[in-house]
Amino acid sequence: MMTINDKKHLARGLAWFGAIFSLVVSVMLIANYFQLKSVDPLESPALKVLVEQLHENPHDDVLKENIRALDLMIRKAYFTSQWQIRTGTWMLILGVLVLILSIRWQKSLRNELDELESIDKNPFLDKQLARKGVIYTALGIFMLALLSGFLSGNILDQYDSTKGQDQEADSAVEIIVAKPVEQNSETIADSSKSVSMQEKTSDEIVEVPINEELDKKEEIESKSEEVKKIKSEPTVPSREQIRKNYPFFRGPDGDGMSYKTGVPKSFDGPNVKNVLWKASVPKHGYNSPIIWNDRLFLTGADSEARMVYCFDKNSGKLLWESAADNIPGSPAKMPKVTEDTGLAASTMATDGQAVFAIFATGDLIALDFEGKRLWAKNLGVPDNHYGHSSSLVIYKNKLLIQYDTNKGGKLIALSTADGSQKWETTRNVKISWASPVLVNTGTRDEIILTADPLVAGYDPETGKELWTVECMMGEVGPSVAYANGLVYAANEYATMAAIRLGGSPEIIWEEQEYLPEVASPLAANGLLIVATSYGVLACYDAETGDKYWEHEAASGFYASPVYADSNAYAIDMSGKMYVIRMAKEFELVAESNLGEKAFGTPVFSEGKLYLRGVENLYCIGGN
Amino acid sequence: MKKDKQQNSRTSRREFIQKSMRLSMGIGLAAVGGLVAFRVHADDTVWQLDPFKCVACGRCADYCVMTPSAVKCVHAFDLCGYCDLCGGYLKPNANARSTAAENQLCPTSAIRRKFVEEPYFEYEIEEKLCIGCGICVEGCTAFGNGSLHLQVRHNVCVNCNECSIARVCPADAFQRVPTSQPYLIKGEWTKDQDKKKQSPTG
Amino acid sequence: MKKRLIKLTLLIFFICLAVTSFAQQQRFPKPEFETGYVQPPTQQPLPRALFLEYLDVIVLIGALILVSWFLLKKRSRQGVLWTSVFSLLYFGFYREGCICAIGSIQNVALAIFDPTYTLPLTALLFFLIPLITALFAGRTFCAGVCPLGAIQDLVAFKPIELPRWLQKVLGLIPYVYLSLAVLYAATRSEFLICRYDPFVGFFRFDGTFQMLLLGGLFLLVGVFVARPYCRFFCPYGVLLGWMSSFSKKHVTITPSTCIQCKLCSNSCPFGAIEEPLLEEGKRRSNVNRLMTYLILIPIWMGIGGLSGSMLHGTLAKFNKTVYLAEMLVQNPDIRFNQENIDARTFMQKGKTMDELVVDAQKIKSQFYWGGWIAGAFMGLVVGLVLVNLSSYRRRNDYEPDRTNCLSCGRCVDYCPVK
Repeated sequence: MMTINDKKHLARGLAWFGAIFSLVVSVMLIANYFQLKSVDPLESPALKVLVEQLHENPHDDVLKENIRALDLMIRKAYFTSQWQIRTGTWMLILGVLVLILSIRWQKSLRNELDELESIDKNPFLDKQLARKGVIYTALGIFMLALLSGFLSGNILDQYDSTKGQDQEADSAVEIIVAKPVEQNSETIADSSKSVSMQEKTSDEIVEVPINEELDKKEEIESKSEEVKKIKSEPTVPSREQIRKNYPFFRGPDGDGMSYKTGVPKSFDGPNVKNVLWKASVPKHGYNSPIIWNDRLFLTGADSEARMVYCFDKNSGKLLWESAADNIPGSPAKMPKVTEDTGLAASTMATDGQAVFAIFATGDLIALDFEGKRLWAKNLGVPDNHYGHSSSLVIYKNKLLIQYDTNKGGKLIALSTADGSQKWETTRNVKISWASPVLVNTGTRDEIILTADPLVAGYDPETGKELWTVECMMGEVGPSVAYANGLVYAANEYATMAAIRLGGSPEIIWEEQEYLPEVASPLAANGLLIVATSYGVLACYDAETGDKYWEHEAASGFYASPVYADSNAYAIDMSGKMYVIRMAKEFELVAESNLGEKAFGTPVFSEGKLYLRGVENLYCIGGN
Repeated sequence: MKKDKQQNSRTSRREFIQKSMRLSMGIGLAAVGGLVAFRVHADDTVWQLDPFKCVACGRCADYCVMTPSAVKCVHAFDLCGYCDLCGGYLKPNANARSTAAENQLCPTSAIRRKFVEEPYFEYEIEEKLCIGCGICVEGCTAFGNGSLHLQVRHNVCVNCNECSIARVCPADAFQRVPTSQPYLIKGEWTKDQDKKKQSPTG
Repeated sequence: MKKRLIKLTLLIFFICLAVTSFAQQQRFPKPEFETGYVQPPTQQPLPRALFLEYLDVIVLIGALILVSWFLLKKRSRQGVLWTSVFSLLYFGFYREGCICAIGSIQNVALAIFDPTYTLPLTALLFFLIPLITALFAGRTFCAGVCPLGAIQDLVAFKPIELPRWLQKVLGLIPYVYLSLAVLYAATRSEFLICRYDPFVGFFRFDGTFQMLLLGGLFLLVGVFVARPYCRFFCPYGVLLGWMSSFSKKHVTITPSTCIQCKLCSNSCPFGAIEEPLLEEGKRRSNVNRLMTYLILIPIWMGIGGLSGSMLHGTLAKFNKTVYLAEMLVQNPDIRFNQENIDARTFMQKGKTMDELVVDAQKIKSQFYWGGWIAGAFMGLVVGLVLVNLSSYRRRNDYEPDRTNCLSCGRCVDYCPVK
């Protein structure tokens, strides 16, 4: 039989045991909690790095095995730690229960009632003290409340709805440099030269660069009359001039037709075969080059700066660079863009007198051919979760901008001379990444846009919506193709539709087998070629949608295929270029390797092919 | 004698005050009861989230009082396209369309992909593993039919008086629904518009 | 005939609705399977059955009757203790702390101010029944039914007595908490009491780290300062105290006549025993002081209301809409920050900035008027506490302070009179 003292000892021992046990378990639980906090197993950076590596080496089986092992380990750790927490909680409850019960037991063994330690009490003094305490505390709290009221102003009063912090931001047009082109003598020289040159035959142009300096001077003198003419009214380049150059994304009309013949077909980048020159581009960008006469323009950007670069297309020399900075409304912090879109995905445009560039910040800048800023403005930062990527196109004296963002779509026309708004059409579409395409239907000029859910044609003069066809879905990246009165719109996970223009445009065929994600389709020679992001090139009949052939490439296509000299030029992401005859039978004319990744479309000018890799710009000649 | 009388009158006065105060307290309680009486519903409410408002932000995984969260992904098979290239199952730019770990989007591997017939696959959620992060929901909504969506699972949910996720939900998707209709499952819910009419607040 | 026509049109309307919304969703139509594949059902585990919710109400009533019976008729501390252990197990660990009478204050407040909210009958009953009981039998709810009280009662091993003034000052906190809780519930901002419930994490064996830490701290303090949450935080305790101070019956220390043995004087861990007061002091100065404090009440209310209204800007910041609006007005660039989930979702929803600001301003004005009311209430409370502290009522015996007495029945065991 236990004596009372034994029981007391036991109770005390149990209480100590319970207390220490609970303490240890709670320390372990807290440690576990902080361990979980410091390394969130489900957001493992190590795993992310490995998956990123796998993107670069898709066939690395060892890497795959590593990922699987790491993934399993992480998930195991996650669920084990949850099990630990659950078990630990139960153990803690048990410990606390033992503690409580043993203390109660100990108390009951003492066999006497608890007494509080008494403190001196005096009803009068106590109440007096309590009154003082309550008064001081209440006054203190009320004073603090009053003070906080004085210190915190009403932030909402700062909001001024008329100021247009909202979507209206882009209506606030600000022109920094409104200097007309003509005031700059250098520019006069250049533009006059370019205009004059257009009148010569193409054979003569080839010789021009050699005597550039001389020619310039002569022409300034001899063509002074012409200069005056330019001064009076900004000339709009003729259709022939445009076609001879390469002013927009995907060629003179923006539909992939280059109107060039006698262009190189094969080269070898790593072994420098047929590579006339190679120049590194300082800042990265997914846009393609544009060319006007001797000058090649492209943009590059990172979070530090948005740059426009001008290269001599014959020598590869970087002639000038110009930063798109100090633009009112431009965000201090870069909008979030994904790595595969970047801040400079939109290709520039030129009308032969000025070049225009847009960036994912919504910054739009116009420069003359010497890199001097003509005007710049911010269109309002586009709400675009990948990054704005619609390229620019020019119709007569209007710069057309497809601005489909998460906040709604619009088509904006700005004056090329000063950036003032000519018109703006609100589009009832979701966000898109496609670019506008200029089309002459035979009866009128149209600008054709595609986005979820509409493919639509607009009057480039007034912005009036001419027609719409509802057939697109999802995040539309590819622009439309056009040939012989037929518009082709396509998007991955959606459809490819051929739309016949006319009184009321209608879909004449649809096809879903091979759909492009980024690269735009190309229509020529009664055929339609699509290049998918998973590396298949497929050819369809333009009228019926029957498939003629398909060809699997080494890598997927982000660059749109372009038509030149009865061949289709397509370059895949790994930098392999395929020249394929645009015919019903598949015929690979040539296959070349650039030696670096490529996302820009091939660009042609005067018997030469220009390619933009991720780092370098190449000029291909010969054959 | 006089003192006693004084004492008595004092006591009876105090008692009278007590009584009348008790009465007014009772009236006060009755008033509160009466004030809310016409908003009272015999049916209880539980928390549920409207999948059409949900933006799959991922807060359901982090803010639920339960670990893992009582919000789980459910699959409305009626809406599913049974795609091979599933935006909810595969990582974007997945290496291959397979069940290998490097291709799976789900961080806990809670989606089971089963071959049905060429070219269709069934996707089923293993709720024990699901943590309600909504990554698959985002993928399915962006690229597919949106058949994968989040729901509060009432076998896990403890039905807090105020849902701690509702407090932080950026889309205000959480709402109290009658216990008799505790789910807003996408397929059935959209088809049965009758229910939809009633559901939000009962 | 007419009715049928309406039904028909409704039906067509619904079918159309269903078809359109369906068509929008289905990017990839559901395939027609050739292999006889059977689609699995989408599981829908049911919530707790409704009759069980009403069973809770019955258990609540039963426990209240039992505790009241133990206290008023049997005078048994043991009975109260074991009922409280049962309540801890049932309402705490089995029902996981929800539904609770303390939180139901907010449901009732929300039901009064939000016309779209439907109040479950069970919540209303959980709010009213303990209060009605307190009106007749004192705070028996606190003694043996409330799981939050029970868990603290179990760990009150070494209580110390707090000085009177400290008790009075800390006793103001529940009023502040109550007014804030009602203010936040009425403005549809949040349920403050539930968010900062210290023990619900224990009841669920699960909760955020902060919640468990808070609960642990309360229990640790509770070893020395008995039931700290009940005495110095619980907003429902305020209401129960009002009811209890005018209750018809209340637990007494002694069953018959007090023999002034003073044995009970150090028995109450909550400092809720009033000692005999035989001298009343100078009558004239007492009356003067009382009159002064009575006159001061409106002034306290004025100061309180003003400071409450001044505080409304700070208080409103905790409202989701106001927070978002103020953030976006101050830093408009955040709207384009994809990392910020609130801003991103706001932009996606297509609500304009103007609408958001108007909404936020509406809520702020609610907070402004709510701040006046809550502040004036606090002023009234301060005024009345001061009046109470300056009245000296003659008392011959040891008696429980009815407002603050938690009816635990400990003192009953100390009384030698049987």
